[in-house]
Amino acid sequence: MSAGDKWDAKDSGPVVRPYAVTGGRTEPANGRVLDLIAIVVASGTAAKTDDMMAFSPEHRKILGMCQAPATVADIASDTALPLGVIRVLLADLIVQGRITVLPHQPADERPHTDLLREVLHGLRAL
Amino acid sequence: MGSAPSDGAGGPLAVFKILVAGGFGAGKTTLVGAISEVRPLYTEEALTSASVGHDDLSGVGAKTTTTVAMDYGRITIGKHLVLYLFGTPGQERFWFMWDDLSYGALGAVVLADTRRLGDCFPSVDYFEKHRVPFVVAINCFDEAPQHDPRDVRIALDLDPAVPAVLCDARQFESVRQVLITLVEHVLASRAAGTSRPWRTPVIRQA
Repeated sequence: MSAGDKWDAKDSGPVVRPYAVTGGRTEPANGRVLDLIAIVVASGTAAKTDDMMAFSPEHRKILGMCQAPATVADIASDTALPLGVIRVLLADLIVQGRITVLPHQPADERPHTDLLREVLHGLRAL
Repeated sequence: MGSAPSDGAGGPLAVFKILVAGGFGAGKTTLVGAISEVRPLYTEEALTSASVGHDDLSGVGAKTTTTVAMDYGRITIGKHLVLYLFGTPGQERFWFMWDDLSYGALGAVVLADTRRLGDCFPSVDYFEKHRVPFVVAINCFDEAPQHDPRDVRIALDLDPAVPAVLCDARQFESVRQVLITLVEHVLASRAAGTSRPWRTPVIRQA
């Protein structure tokens, strides 16, 4: 494909532009870019059905996936939505208090090395 | 296996990110697929001159990205540890994505094709510069001449501490050995204080 070739339909991408589901927003509402392997989980507070209607179908689908801890990459893959879109939608849910991001463990903590040794043993036993 | 990280519910859960880099066609997706189920991930690429003429920008002046597909795989170890393998897009125009991908990464595998060794220079440079521990895995393509890893090491001007191993990216056992070499190297460079810290989301048991 070189610039100037005529534009085939298959090159035009999805019918609905990815950022249509974010209302055109490309930046997360909280200004925080989530890591690919950040783990998010639905907050303990039970969602009321009428509240849920304030969210888009994509928000609700993501919220459903977050009932158990899930990584950003898995949510993006399972919804087939681009990573940037998922980050915007997750930020909406975080701002609304519906989901929380689990904290990263600082790498200089001792258990971290122990975890890594566990990974090593696990790989050897695969 | 289809097991989600959530399978670790009730126990501690830790997730690690490993990057698989190398030139276009070096076997990154093959390597990820040999040891895990490959899943698609869509991300965005900044619009470059390559897009001009293909993406209709009229009326969407603020549009600066277009969609790119990449692969990743997930290896569940025991019930509560998960390794994510991300294939980094090889072409130079995707370089801006590397910072995002490498953030907090445990380490990286640089896949080398001895017929096009120069293709992995940028990856080696990047990981050295960002102090991400990495191993060089020399993919033994059937039709490629076999080289001694020592020669490859010299050609790439590798730090003596960086492992360089032969591998067959199609074989589970071979890929597993590459990952074991990487984790051992991460532990060693951590002990030596030569690697930057990685970041791992850990769910602590309440």
